[in-house]
Amino acid sequence: MKQTVQMDKIQASMRRGVITLEGFLGTDTRKLVDILIDDDAEVRRLGMSHEAIARRMLELKQAGEAGLGEFVTVGEQLEVKVDAVRGKLPCPFGDPGIFGKVNTTVRNKKTKKEVTYTDLHIHMIWAHGFYEGKGSRFRLEPAELIDILEVKTDE
Amino acid sequence: MLNELFQAVGILSAISAVLSLLMVIADRTIANYGEVTITINDEKKLTVQGGSTLLSTLMSEEIFIPSACGGRGSCGFCKVRVLEGAGDTLPTELPHLSEEERRNSIRLSCQLKIKKDMKIEIPEELFNVKQFRGVVARIRDLTYDIKEITIRLLEPAEISFKAGQYVQLETPEYELADEPVYRAYSVSSAPSRKDLVELEIRRVPNGICTTYVHDYLKEGDAVTLNGPYGEFYLRDSTRRIVFIAGGSGNAPIKSILSDMAEKKIGRKALYFFGARTAKDLFLQEEMKAFEEQLSDFTYIPALSEPVEEDNWGGETGLITDVIDRRLDTGEETEAYLCGSPGMIAACIKVLTAKGIPEERIYYDKFA
Repeated sequence: MKQTVQMDKIQASMRRGVITLEGFLGTDTRKLVDILIDDDAEVRRLGMSHEAIARRMLELKQAGEAGLGEFVTVGEQLEVKVDAVRGKLPCPFGDPGIFGKVNTTVRNKKTKKEVTYTDLHIHMIWAHGFYEGKGSRFRLEPAELIDILEVKTDE
Repeated sequence: MLNELFQAVGILSAISAVLSLLMVIADRTIANYGEVTITINDEKKLTVQGGSTLLSTLMSEEIFIPSACGGRGSCGFCKVRVLEGAGDTLPTELPHLSEEERRNSIRLSCQLKIKKDMKIEIPEELFNVKQFRGVVARIRDLTYDIKEITIRLLEPAEISFKAGQYVQLETPEYELADEPVYRAYSVSSAPSRKDLVELEIRRVPNGICTTYVHDYLKEGDAVTLNGPYGEFYLRDSTRRIVFIAGGSGNAPIKSILSDMAEKKIGRKALYFFGARTAKDLFLQEEMKAFEEQLSDFTYIPALSEPVEEDNWGGETGLITDVIDRRLDTGEETEAYLCGSPGMIAACIKVLTAKGIPEERIYYDKFA
């Protein structure tokens, strides 16, 4: 697949200091299209879909909201906290609407691992299969997400 | 062949240099908008050099509009009403403006360049906002993820604010930030302590400012902040007060309680504070002390998932359940909430069901 002019524009808006101070690409020098293709392949290799991952992220965020800002136990292994800071972010892909800086932190008691993601992450994974570039502090590794969040396949 | 290549590169470089020079000259001449006048609230007139954004121009005139993203057009905080002198709404503003805001000429001041005389409207209280330099007098751990930062003000040496308002703290350039960034934090100290500002800052995973505060900031460090901002303060009435908070949402409530104690405001008040386990509770003695200092105040901490070693004998359950149990009626009551959007929404549901009208529920929602 070739990177389109539109994707060039999107990639430019993902650079440091355009929408956010650190941007969405980290130290990744690949073209956006290659980042998307590589993560898509990784997700498929793991037998998952972006929708299934994003759906689980949303499901846990909604369950965690019951904790009203503190960790709450969800199921047997997971602890979830949903907290927010002031500010809003637009989607770098140019989708309508803005996303509050709502952070969902999920701790897996079995694996003793933790991951934090935002509402914008859920949207970007669901709508674009974008997990941020390598080296970005906010990048979410698909394999880690699947492991920590205990994502099940679509079936 | 090689010579021709070098020649071509040389010519291209020369053309680029000339074009760059022309761009600089054009920027200084063609794009020179000269002096323009900004009329604020039909009263104050500023004569400024055109060409910069409205946000940065006002800041250079010491008028601070709240902004959390440093003028990138991503936080949507720096809204002002522009009555004259602005062109069409820019594509970068659109995601942040509702239909109604666009109809009311609301614009993002960080995106709007001043090219001609302009008439704007801003809230009067923003004239009280100043930039302060100070020094970190004390840092103490309130919990494993919340720190209390006490800043002694140097210049100006005093701040005037209403209990419940917030300031914007500057994070300077450091390992994770290649330029200064501002983030908003509620003041937890009493307004009577004009010489200092106390903040309660909870670590946000990967947060630029909270990482700086938790891992880099030391006692004795110089800091810059601006403020005060916000509409979250105690309304003047005789109604019973219900405060609800969790985590660092305690900060503005503590400031309001201190102010009430000093002013001997004797209104009946209840403070519901939600935490998960005992290790998430903090300033318990200070909060209990308000029960002595205020004539009719009750502090009600509640743990949602207490563990055995907590030996907890107090209220348990989600704070919304506790409010539902402990609040008899919402009659002649007003509520003050500080926390995440989810917590605010859940509490509003319970409070309105108790009979508190929504217009009497005041909140400091973080997003």
